[in-house]
Amino acid sequence: MKEKILRYVLLVLVLIITVGPFLWQLSTSLKGAGEDIYTSTPSFVPQQPTLNNYARVADAIPVWRYIGNSLLVAVLTVGGNLIFTTLAGYAIARLKFRGRGIVLGLFLATLVLPGEVTIISQFVTIRDLGLADTLLGVALPTMISALNVLLMFNAFRALPADIDEAAIVDGANAWQRLVRVALPSVRGTLAVVAIFSFIAAWDDFLWPLIVLTSPDKFTLTVGLQYLSGTFTQDQRLIAAGTMIAFLPIAVLFSALQRYFFKGVEEGGVKG
Amino acid sequence: MRIRHASVAVLTAVALGLAACGGSGDDDSGSDEITGTVTLQTWALTPKFTDYLNEVIKGFETKYPGTKVELLDQPGDGYSDKVLSQAASNTLPDVINLPPDFALPLAQQDLLVDVSKDAGVDVNATYVAGSIDAYKFKGTDGVYGYPWYLNTDLDYWNKTKFAKCGLDASKPPATTQELFAQAAIMHSKCPDEYLMSRKPTIIDFTLAGIPTLSDDGKKFVFNTDQAAGIVDQYRDAFKNGYMPPTVLNTDYQGNSKLFTQGKVAWTTGGATSLADFEKDNPSLKGQVAVSKALDTPPLYVQGLSVSDKSKHKATARALAEWVTNADNQNKFGHLVNVFPSTTASASDAYFSKDDGTPVGQARALAFEELKTAKSLQPYEVNTAMETILAQQIALAVKGDVSSKQALDDAVTKMNQMLARQ
Repeated sequence: MKEKILRYVLLVLVLIITVGPFLWQLSTSLKGAGEDIYTSTPSFVPQQPTLNNYARVADAIPVWRYIGNSLLVAVLTVGGNLIFTTLAGYAIARLKFRGRGIVLGLFLATLVLPGEVTIISQFVTIRDLGLADTLLGVALPTMISALNVLLMFNAFRALPADIDEAAIVDGANAWQRLVRVALPSVRGTLAVVAIFSFIAAWDDFLWPLIVLTSPDKFTLTVGLQYLSGTFTQDQRLIAAGTMIAFLPIAVLFSALQRYFFKGVEEGGVKG
Repeated sequence: MRIRHASVAVLTAVALGLAACGGSGDDDSGSDEITGTVTLQTWALTPKFTDYLNEVIKGFETKYPGTKVELLDQPGDGYSDKVLSQAASNTLPDVINLPPDFALPLAQQDLLVDVSKDAGVDVNATYVAGSIDAYKFKGTDGVYGYPWYLNTDLDYWNKTKFAKCGLDASKPPATTQELFAQAAIMHSKCPDEYLMSRKPTIIDFTLAGIPTLSDDGKKFVFNTDQAAGIVDQYRDAFKNGYMPPTVLNTDYQGNSKLFTQGKVAWTTGGATSLADFEKDNPSLKGQVAVSKALDTPPLYVQGLSVSDKSKHKATARALAEWVTNADNQNKFGHLVNVFPSTTASASDAYFSKDDGTPVGQARALAFEELKTAKSLQPYEVNTAMETILAQQIALAVKGDVSSKQALDDAVTKMNQMLARQ
């Protein structure tokens, strides 16, 4: 009994720590112009609730255009990751070729490098490809991520080898084995990859900021920064913008959550 | 099947993207002529000042037919990363809005035009001396930016707390020493209220007349006994409870947040800050007294630099001179509480007139301050160095190490970082 209480206390504590700042943003975004934002004891219930702040975000910045840009980048990133990490993961896990271990090692090695270290050389590459200041330039380097390759590698590796061998006996080639045999069993991990790459693409700030220069091409995270201008910062407006940016992630997650948890189990990362 | 469709879509997008980028050829017409398309990169001025900027640009395009200006306003966050990546990849815009500390590394790499040579205007007569000095750097000669708008800090005081705790908000502290004295009074009357709200920074040393940087700009030299004495004074104030414990892990932003929350009775802020306090916490309306900055007011400069790699240097320079001319700067200052860097603007009565509103009072005070304002922090100090110094000072204020030791450590590390720059 005692242990149960302790467990709940700890759970509630973690819940408050993770959800607290989010709730504060949500309540700030709903607060009217007449009430205080910063109070010595935080008050989460708006006294003069209003949706006006959300309407003002749309007035202040072309929020729909930014959402469109972000969606395009996210679709490219998610699509790229689903296709390329599947192919790479399957090749490393299931096909036999010389240097397989080295390839896997290289993928692992890139995980160690923090992104900020390579960001300038990456940008120079993108610029030389003529992709500076384009949305494709933003999406391209993230279209295949080493971590997702490892997730797919693990998922494919977990499938029993016997099934593969049976398919070979039946005369299936590598493509058929991937599409007909292996893919249906890793749907959960595909959902994990989709959600992770969507969140990474949607939330990324530094990379799109560096690639994009024309304001009409900005993604949502970069464009939302306009809400905090040089001379005045309207916290209510910034909070409303944050909420707008959060919505698509919540929608995607709730749509895929059934597969997501299956994927986490089937998968990938085992203790 | 679905997968195949997706890959086709990706490939099409790749091809389209490549095609879309092919068409940006530059016509390189002689660099002395004022013509062609130039880019103007500003820092976090849209959407609030989009109309103003467009009007200024239109004026320029009308004055010089054949020119076209592309405005590329960049968001506030991450601007230094953006500028550095542009510099590293050779994609700097023609005209760039750079504060002096951002311009310094670029000027040292010869990426910016020395605007004191062959300028279309007499730079020294057009702009106030302090703002020109901000773009002269140790170790280089020349001026690496046209000064644009200026700002300074004012002090904001919470009147209610002053009245409650035996202080007079019409006679707030005017120097750092008076601040310590009044903080002691406030603490003795109301042990739960705080007047002071920040730990010392390099600015405190400058204010006390301690040289912070060697003359050749190669070494920091503020680890003197006198500077240690200042840190000691803050340490004792902290121990006596004159400031809230959270100051040891906050920065300037925290300072004004604490003020808005009503946790401290003092903050510094630009001439525009008052509006922010009242917008965030409407209950502060009418409770804030404004006064001049303690000791010597700081000078904050924004400027327009011209890329040395620009294909239309003459056009870019003409544009920078146009945007920073007295007329256009005055108009900007009328829109928001910033101040023109042009000498001719001194005669604009708008800035010196106190119209009775708190915002008008802040404007007049700040404009008056600019006559004596000085740049208090060497532009060589970057954010990473600020963090190092803040950490060491926090240790000293907490009493974990002696103040002298903390300053010695900070100077050693900051010198290493400076040498690498």
